[in-house]
Amino acid sequence: MARWSPPRNGGGGHDFDFKKKRKVEEIYQALNSDPIDVAALRRMAISEGGLLMDEIRCKVWPKLLSVNTDDLPPLPGKELREDNKDYQQVLLDVRRSLRRFPPGMPDDQREGLQEELIDIILHVLKRNPQLHYYQGYHDIVVTFLLVVGDRLATALVEKLSTHHLRDFMDPTMDNTKHILNYLMPIIDQVNPEVHDFMQSAEVGTIFALSWLITWFGHVLSDFRHVVRLYDFFLACHPLMPIYFAAVIVLHRQQEVLDCECDMASVHHLLSQIPQDLPYESLISKAGDLFVQFPPSKLAREAAQQQAERTAASTFKDFELASVQQRPDTVLRQRFGEQPRGEERTKSILTKPRTNRFVKLAVMGLTVALGAAALAVVKSALEWAPKFELQIFP
Amino acid sequence: MMAAAADLESSLELSLTGSGALPGGLPPARSRIFKIIVIGDSNVGKTCLTYRFCAGRFPQRTEATIGVDFRERAVTIDGERIKIQLWDTAGQERFRKSMVQHYYRNVHAVVFVYDMTNIASFHSLPSWIEECKQHLLANDIPRILVGNKCDLRSAIQVPTDLAQKFADTHSMPLFETSAKNPNDNDHVEAIFMTLAHKLKSHKPLMLSQPPDHDEIRIKPEPKPAMTCWC
Repeated sequence: MARWSPPRNGGGGHDFDFKKKRKVEEIYQALNSDPIDVAALRRMAISEGGLLMDEIRCKVWPKLLSVNTDDLPPLPGKELREDNKDYQQVLLDVRRSLRRFPPGMPDDQREGLQEELIDIILHVLKRNPQLHYYQGYHDIVVTFLLVVGDRLATALVEKLSTHHLRDFMDPTMDNTKHILNYLMPIIDQVNPEVHDFMQSAEVGTIFALSWLITWFGHVLSDFRHVVRLYDFFLACHPLMPIYFAAVIVLHRQQEVLDCECDMASVHHLLSQIPQDLPYESLISKAGDLFVQFPPSKLAREAAQQQAERTAASTFKDFELASVQQRPDTVLRQRFGEQPRGEERTKSILTKPRTNRFVKLAVMGLTVALGAAALAVVKSALEWAPKFELQIFP
Repeated sequence: MMAAAADLESSLELSLTGSGALPGGLPPARSRIFKIIVIGDSNVGKTCLTYRFCAGRFPQRTEATIGVDFRERAVTIDGERIKIQLWDTAGQERFRKSMVQHYYRNVHAVVFVYDMTNIASFHSLPSWIEECKQHLLANDIPRILVGNKCDLRSAIQVPTDLAQKFADTHSMPLFETSAKNPNDNDHVEAIFMTLAHKLKSHKPLMLSQPPDHDEIRIKPEPKPAMTCWC
């Protein structure tokens, strides 16, 4: 097995403080252990600062996605662009995606990368005819291209597309809409007042659509923030971006409540994401929320958002959710907790978080549970739309 | 969009809650809102048009719109302050069905946009019109047709007479314009202001009220060909 050593001048020379240096060492230790300590890598990707450097990301991202870097698929030839139903749309979107590239980059270099970006997207789509391109997919792919280069990006994006992003790439966006339905129940658990306000404004959830399907790549202008979030999301359950979206709304709760209670005002406020968010603390909060209100717990409310509170749906929903949400069940068992009353969960949130790292670590481990590591992805989501078909034939 | 938002940040001080006359017999202090949805194929220039109207200039860079973006501008028409809300939608088909429908609610007018240099975007119009019919309950909602990018004269694929014929068939006024042409600012402005005037003279307040007069119906304009002013 290849042995990696930490970079000598790790990232920022003298500024590279002790804490970071130690984290770098820990990451390399996890990379060099046999077998590779993927659970530790997940913890590193989640905890403060994430994976710190692109050099490390090149090594760790493939491990988080179980991609074998020794066996990368060959890059495609130019024939890719002929007879591709998505080519025109991809071309339009990539040509317009200037903002995703570093500001000082020379035009010819950027144009070269844009060509690579088109090729990666078309390549993945061609190899996976069940996947459908969506506007915003290019915002995700460009992040991988800029961090790991075209060859590795192709492999990582392919894995991501058949797992984390799978639901966004259905023929329709019904599953995506369903995932957005998790947003309001999460907000309701933490701050019912904000939830009720947003419901009366009828703001909907489309303001968070681009956040979800681009993993915030479309809306954050500082690339460092984007890759930090990608570290986090790659290490977590595929629903984590929706928890992060909820945390952003909750972070701005006062602004929301001060807003005029109508769709336009609230949509306008929320869709303008502040660029100076406290990312590290929001990441911790999103992790906490995930642990306290795992998807299985929210599944019923999320389904109700769509089913418009059809009473008959609730029981079966819940049954289905509990069967299919095994990883979360396991998670709860690890905590030795039974499902709690609402009162108690709310009071827990207001207490100081003393065991955050334990929770986050468990969360990392939970996602990594053996074969479930990536199989979690679809199972978390696929039952609901099917079930709705049963209610509304 | 980010920059646009800062530019467009206008005080949302509308006071629809202030129902009833104020003391002293003054008319109720309300600001009317006209909600206009802008639809059409990807890359026809929906974002640029709405940005141009709301910010007064062509945006430096626009990206694909994901979902729905919102822009707003306050105008004064005949002494009345009115807010024009433009809902700028994603062009890719997959966003339409499950995503955008929420934003058709309570819409006062529809702007269909095609790219004059792209005949395919013109040929898509019937499906956009059909979709619009499915979402909007009322048939009498004003609709206009905008051909964008008329500044690219050598690349025009959609002749004006063809577009005019189509517009006539569907009882819509046609405008050919360019969101980009710096001399054309008045024209983009005129398009939306024409629509606002029409809405002002015909529409009740945005709060849904039962239609009280059958004869209040938007009649198709006698359509002078609004030729390109660029």
